[in-house]
Order: sequence, then C-alpha cells, then structure tokens
Amino acid sequence: MNDQITQIRAVGQSHPRREAREKVTGRIEYIHNLRLPNMLYGKIFRSTVAHARIVSIDTSEAAACPGVDMVLTGEDIRKIMPDPHFGVMFHDQPVLALDKVRYVGEPVAIVLASDPNVAAEAVALIDVDYDELEPVFDEMEALSAETFVHDELKPGIPEIQFLKGVRDTNVGFPYQLRHGGDVDKAFEEADRVFEHTFRTHPSAHVPLEPPVTVAEPTGAGLTLHTANQSPSFVRYEISRLLGWPQHKIRVRVPYLGGGFGAKLWIRLEALVAAAALLAKRPVKVSLSMEEQFYTITKHGATLKIKSGLDKDGRITARKCEVFWNGGAYADIGPAVAFHAGMTAAGPYDIENVAIDSFSMYTNRPVAGAMRGFGHPQLIWAYENHTDMMAHELGIDPLEFRRRNILREGKEHATGTALNTSSVEKVLDRVAERLQWGKPFERGEGTVKRGRGFAIGIKASIAPSTSEAIVRLGADGSATLMCSSVDMGQGSDTAHAQIVAEVLNMPVEMVHVVHPDTDVTPYDTGTLGSRSLYHMGHAARLAAEDAKAKLEELAAEVGAQPGSNVPIWELFARKNGMPVGHVVGTASFIPDGHIPPDPMTGQSPHITPYWMLGATGAEVEIDTETGRVTVLRMINVADTGTQINPKIVDHQISGASIMQLGQTMQEKVHFDFGQVTNASFADYKIPSMLDIPQIETSVLDGAEADGPFGAKGVGETGSFCVSSAIANAVFDAVGVRVSEMPITGETVYRAMRAAAGEPLEEE
Amino acid sequence: MNAFELALPDTLAGAVSLLDPEDPTIRVMSGGTALMLMMKTDVFHPTQLISLRRIEPGYSQMGLLPDGSFRIGAMSTLSDMEHDDALAGFAPVIRQTMKLLSNVRVRNVATVGGALAHGDPHMDLPPVLVALDAQVVTISPEGERTIPVAELHAGYYETILSGNELIKEVIIPPQHARRASYLKCTTRAVKDWPALGVALTTDLDGDTARDTRLVIGAVGEKPIRVAEAEAVIDGQILSDKTIAEAADAAAESVETIEDELGSAAYKTQLVRVYVKRALQQVANQNA
Repeated sequence: MNDQITQIRAVGQSHPRREAREKVTGRIEYIHNLRLPNMLYGKIFRSTVAHARIVSIDTSEAAACPGVDMVLTGEDIRKIMPDPHFGVMFHDQPVLALDKVRYVGEPVAIVLASDPNVAAEAVALIDVDYDELEPVFDEMEALSAETFVHDELKPGIPEIQFLKGVRDTNVGFPYQLRHGGDVDKAFEEADRVFEHTFRTHPSAHVPLEPPVTVAEPTGAGLTLHTANQSPSFVRYEISRLLGWPQHKIRVRVPYLGGGFGAKLWIRLEALVAAAALLAKRPVKVSLSMEEQFYTITKHGATLKIKSGLDKDGRITARKCEVFWNGGAYADIGPAVAFHAGMTAAGPYDIENVAIDSFSMYTNRPVAGAMRGFGHPQLIWAYENHTDMMAHELGIDPLEFRRRNILREGKEHATGTALNTSSVEKVLDRVAERLQWGKPFERGEGTVKRGRGFAIGIKASIAPSTSEAIVRLGADGSATLMCSSVDMGQGSDTAHAQIVAEVLNMPVEMVHVVHPDTDVTPYDTGTLGSRSLYHMGHAARLAAEDAKAKLEELAAEVGAQPGSNVPIWELFARKNGMPVGHVVGTASFIPDGHIPPDPMTGQSPHITPYWMLGATGAEVEIDTETGRVTVLRMINVADTGTQINPKIVDHQISGASIMQLGQTMQEKVHFDFGQVTNASFADYKIPSMLDIPQIETSVLDGAEADGPFGAKGVGETGSFCVSSAIANAVFDAVGVRVSEMPITGETVYRAMRAAAGEPLEEE
Repeated sequence: MNAFELALPDTLAGAVSLLDPEDPTIRVMSGGTALMLMMKTDVFHPTQLISLRRIEPGYSQMGLLPDGSFRIGAMSTLSDMEHDDALAGFAPVIRQTMKLLSNVRVRNVATVGGALAHGDPHMDLPPVLVALDAQVVTISPEGERTIPVAELHAGYYETILSGNELIKEVIIPPQHARRASYLKCTTRAVKDWPALGVALTTDLDGDTARDTRLVIGAVGEKPIRVAEAEAVIDGQILSDKTIAEAADAAAESVETIEDELGSAAYKTQLVRVYVKRALQQVANQNA
C-alpha cells in the first residue's frame, strides 16, 4: 500500500519480536512497576486451616497499627458487592472468605496502608477463630466423602443451570460422552481387555511476574490496571459484581511477565476493585512468589482407562474415567473436565467409547487452566496405556498405533469427522526423527538407554469470539486495536504481520494497541491456543474492511482505481491536510459450531480446528540410582502455516520445557492442605542444565480455514512430553512409572519392585 | 519484613562486642545469602543485624602459613576460594567443589565463615572441610579457641558456637600427597542443594589406604564422618571388593532422614552408590 517501499512478505517470515528490545532493556510496562499518586498497598491475610467455619475475625489490633488505613473482611465487601462471589463458570468463589474457609491460603482479610511493609506487619496482627471441619484433599476421597466443600452448587453461566440447587456432593461438573454402541457389550466381545490407572500431581504455573492488580477509582467509574489474560471478562465480571453498567469499568493490560493460564478470569481484580472503592483511593496488590502457590495450580488428576481389543490388535472399546482435583473453587475446572474430557480416548479410531470426566471440589488451592488445558494429563494416561498394551500384545508401539489411529474423514469419539491427516503425519514424523526400528545404542554397565514417543490431540475450544479494529491513517500506518494479551507468546508480532500482509505494508508500520476495554473491543480471552486463529481472523477481516474503506475514500476524492495517488494525498484531498483515518472492524466467531449433546457429547462439528502433536524422547538411566537424564527431545507439531517460524519454534520448545519440568522435577507438595514447597528454592523449575537437546519438527500444510492457513500452537509442545519420557524409561529398563515426577527414586523403586526386592517404604 | 537496626562495625572485635548471647534476634551477617532467605520467609525477625562487611581486610584474605598449613579468613567468599590458585594447588578438591556449589551469584557473596556457622546440613563445603581435617579459630569476649570443623556442628542448624562467638579463620593442615574427592548428588534439578554429598580424603601409600576420612553430607542433621567405612578401607588395597564392602558399611551405618529430596531408604542407596564411586575415583586418581 505504501508504494515507496518494496514489501518483503509479512506472513511466513521470522520478523523480530516487536517488544524484545524494550523488554531486555528494562523499559517495558509491567503493572508491578506502576505507582499511582495517593496509592495504598494491600496485603492479604490468608487462612491457615483447610476447612472451617469462621467463628470470628478480630481486626482491631491490625486496624490500630500506626500507618494502617483500613482492614477489610468479607462482610465489608458486601457493602459494594451484594453477592460477592465470582467465577467464570460457577459463582462460587468469595472475594474474601465469608462464612467458611475452604483451603489453606484462602484470602480472609486485607490490610491497606501507604507502606506495604506496614500492611504486611499489620496482617500478622489479625486473629481469626475457626471452627474446624473435616477437610478432603484427594479427588477420589472427595467422591465418597461425607464432608462437602460447598453446601450447594452455584452454577453461574446458563449452560450449567441444571446443577442449580444440587447439594451434598463434591462433584462440581460431570461431563459424559457416549460414542458408538454399547461399550460394555464391546468389552464382553473383546479378545483382550486392558485396564490401567494413572495419577498426575498438581504443579504450579509460576510466571516470573506473580499476579498483580491496581484499581483506580475515577470520577466516572473504576479503572483496573492488571496482569490478566482476559481483560474483556474482567470488565464483565466486575460490572456484574458491582451491579454497574460495563462501560463504567475500564480494564487495561500492558505486557505480562508470563501467564500460562495463571492469570485468566478473576485473580485479584475483584478484591482490589472492592478495596479501592471502599478506600476511595487507588489500591495495589502484588502477590509474592510464595502466594502464587496458594492462588492457582494445575489440576492433579486420577485417570482410569480401559480398552478392549480384537484379535488383530484393533481397539474396539474404550472407557475413560477422569477425576480432576479442582481445589476449593470451580474457576475454569469444569471446562477442563469438559474440553479435555472430550478427547480422553485420544487420537484413535475406536468404535465404542464411554467417557466420564468429573471436576471435583477439594480443600486445596484452586486448580485452573494451564498450558495444555488438561490434555498433558490425559495424554500421560492414554499414551502410557497404549505402549503398555502394545508391549503385552508383543506388537511394536509404532505398528500398534498405525493400526488404531484416527485417519482423515473418520469419526472422532465426539462424532466430528477428522478433517486432517495430521495424526498419521505426526506419528510418521516422530518415528522418522527417532529412526524408530533402526539399531539404537542401549548403553552398558550401570547406564541404560531407551527411547519412546507419544502422540496427542486437542480440539480448540468453541465457540468463542474475537473482535478487532484496524485504523488506517494518513501517514500510511495502521493501528490494530484488540484485546489479545501478549504474555510472551508473541501475539502482537503475529497479529501485526497479518494486518501488514492484508494491507501490503511493512510490519513496522502496524501499531498494536494493548488491551484497554475503553478502546479495544471484546475478546473471549488469551487462552487455549485460540488467539492466532480467532484474533488472527478478526485482525485480517478488520484490515480488509479498512482496505475497502480506503478504496471508497479514493473513489470519493476522485482517484482512479489502481492509481498511484499516495495515501497522504487521498486524506489531504478530503480533509485539507494529510490527516484522518479510515476504520475497519470485524467480529469473528468460527462458522458451524454445533454444541455437543449434553448426554452423549456427540456433535457433527465440535471444533474449528484440531491440534496434533507428538514427542520423541531418548533417555539414559543410571541403574544404581534410577536417575533419568533426558538426552534428546523431538517435538512434532501440526501448526498450519507458520505466520512467524521463529516464534512457532520458541512456542513449541518452550511448552515442551515447561512440561519437561512438571514431568521430571516439579510437584506442589501438601501437608494437610498446606503447601510445603512454596518457593523456587524448593519448587524446581528447569534450569538450562536440566534441558536436553530439543528439536522442533513442524508439519507442512495449511489449516484449511485458518487465517493464511495458520492456527494456534502455544500448547502443542506440552502434550506428549511426559508419556514419551515414560515410554523411553520403560524401553531402557523395563519398568513402568505411573506417577510423576519421574525422579530417580520413582524409577529406582520401580526397578527394585520389578526385581522382587522392593525398597522399604518409610 | 519488620524494621531492624543495621550496625557496620570496623573491627571483628567490635562486632563481637555488639553481640548478646541472651538475644538471638541480634545476629551478624556476612554474605547474607542464607539470612536474607530466612528473613524473606518470616523464619527470622532480627532486631539488629551486624554487617561484617567493613571489618579488617585480613579476614578476607587467605594463604599458606609458615608451618605448611593453609589459612582462609572467615570473610573470604566462596568465589575467592574458588579462584585462589594457591588454595587450588594446596587442596584441589575445594575448587572442584565450588563448581558444584550453588551458583556464581551466591558464591560471589557467601563467605566460608557464614557457610560453617549457619549449621545448615544441606551444604557442600562443610563435609569437604571435615574431610580435609580443617579447624576453625573463633573469637569471643572469653578469647580465642580452635575447634575442628568435625566438631563444630551439633545438630540441625546448630553449632557449638556460643551466641557471642564468631569464626575468624579456617585452617587446613598440610595435605601432602593425600588424595581427595567430593561427589554431589541432587535429586530434583541438576543445580540444587545436595540430597547427598560424599567427601573423601585418604593417603594412598602404594595402593594401601591410610588415615581415610570419609564424610557424608546432607542426608542427616550434620556432616557425618563414617568410621565404620574408614575402618574397612584403612590398611587395605582399594580393590573392587574393599570398595564394595566400604560402601555397604557406609550404607549400614549412616542414618538418613527423609525429606522432599528423597526417602530415607533411597538416600541409603545413594550413600552406597556414591561412596563406591568416590572411592573408585580416588583409586583411579593419578598420585
């Protein structure tokens, strides 16, 4: 569009991340650095017990502390939020605890002071008297427990109103899927039946920037400056809680120091908003690293999987039961049970499938979305299960999968026909990169080597909405206004590339406005690898709209179609000076979504796109200590067209490293509900020395309906890492680990047990 | 974090005079790497911190003494020890240990005196100094005394130092041709506190081991010298059989404690494996 510059193609090139320089030179805006005049700091008093009725809260000593402005409890919040319970699915989480506390670390009160150190000191002076109740921590115990985390379910959104009034249960949401014929009959007719149970542990997102929010009362309403992945939802939910029209709430989000699902929906926003309105001053709450561990975790789960096979090694029936430990409040847990539940049977062509997936309430910190949205847990189960069956049947794991994978056109267990051949392609690619079937150096002496792989599938969430505005200016630049949050994944750069491609301008000429709900339009949220597809389309359509409007302007001011009248002159002819804009808009919801039948989970069109991945791993094991060293990791991903290949590579390797950490070393430890390793000193994320050689291998080919053939890829690298490593461990030393992290002790114990000399328990 | 007073005395004697044995909220601070963590996690609330940063520079220096032993001022940082060529020549195992110990940011500020006085059992350096038969010289209002590092630690985060007694220097006796090794085992991440440390020094006269000092760190409440295993080794050629017997003796005699780094039974297996490997390494070292 700018005829002075020769355009290198915008889409498909590894344009540098636009914020990189500002980030590494320490100039970028993070809310942690924000200080407003007259601002108070809030420090949270947290429950020290896992489950109790609150008898009394004595804040008098804290309130009398010099320098303390206010101390607020749950009852104070009611003064401005009549029903102070928030949640994206259930309205079950109180802004501050009201009658009960439901986990160790639950916010009970907040102290506001001009000096954060004063606030922290005063927090220690609050005294709460509890009447303790029986807690329940384990998801399986929660199923049959006589103690209930919630007296009654509090469904929020319309789709789950059938749960309204349900009492005396810890099952928050039951998802079920029934595909094909009678699964029990199919088991009876099967030649072989295999059944295994797996568990996964809670891990923590621990973005290096912990959650932080500043609330600022303004004349007209309230502005929230917050590190959040879903600013549009924050505006909606805060307005709902306050009973205000949405336009009085402004939510702005600059950059995030990592999100990974930890900063979705409401984290601190409701509390800080209420505090600021009650104090009539700006209030800031920044969580410490330790507090993150009490705020949000990844779901631990118990996964039962049973398969029936015919005499040819074809899987004819599968039953999956998944129990998600959701912690004390629902958050997005029911959606994890739902969306992950639908693919619990894996990328396999199975005639009869029954899936039950339950989000369970327990007295642990809230489990929410985390990169992979439940799929790494499921894939851990079904890909271990697949290798275990192959081994029992004496069939090579690659051959066994080839007999059973879902091929293009075949119906997935959800009833949706697969529109891609990517399952076989990721399988072939990972086998090729591992040189599967070729000789492999297996080590000697006390060092044994092995290799393994896994494949996994995820459906993009549906339905969801992205809106975008593209403003084209007289200087030949474009401005994209959208509510996607760049939390490190590079969405600003990718979206700018899409706009530049449509408008045929240099990528540097596209300016991206960060989420500010006064300016940027609605978006469901930055989650589930959805932004590139959904916002990518919205940005593309808005840019096309702007382009059409510029052509209208050209006609209006007498330029011939295809003429080389520069942009500035078009505007100058209209406005007297080279000033002004044309504005393109778009709202994108993928076509054709059909909600699944609530009883059977069946839908002929359940997702706009599938995400397929595979990981291959080579490991080395010290047989005297069980220590596993991952030597090589190959991540295969079906990404569609790569808008920015370098960012794609980093997204895939980054997700795989995150999952590697949770596979090998990360676990949140609890002692009667209390997190005992709430710091980086004792919760070990991978350092450079823990990371193996990583290779990324991307399939060729476009996603049919994606923007320029692209689709999301932020989670794909996380899918298969855990099970690939477990399968490699089995290959090396012949033992199967059913729990993570795969520590030296886990493997050594399994080896000793297999040798008939089990290591003594404590 | 509560408010506290910070003192910056110019002399070690001045620092000692500010301490009150009856008041544990008054403490000295050298590198601060451990103390700051304790303060951040609300484990320790000082009323007064006495920084040793400005005391006499001699306490940050090290070198050979006329009697052939090696003196390290207590305020020497772990990086100072890592990079001192004379010390590396005197006891190469120290430089080797430093490469495994924590990270460069911590080593740049943490001091040897602090590392010993803190009494944290999950450290790499104390067992090495015990194996080297090092001593500390302390100062208090009662005067100076010399304590073998082997006797310094009384239990979990406990030393025999009194509340107004500070370590002024570490003395390592001449090592002559003694061979030494330190093996570290971590169980969560590559860079981590040790789940186990095995420090070993021995005289190999020909092939016969003498005066062996085998010290196990991190599995118990303090560094543990394993006399039972030393007895198996001393006077013997370090054959595969002797090494295996010594490893078994160590595994049987060392009491291990379960924590998040591993169960007691697993740590016992680690003791067996790493003692064996340390002995093999020493046997294979070129004299």
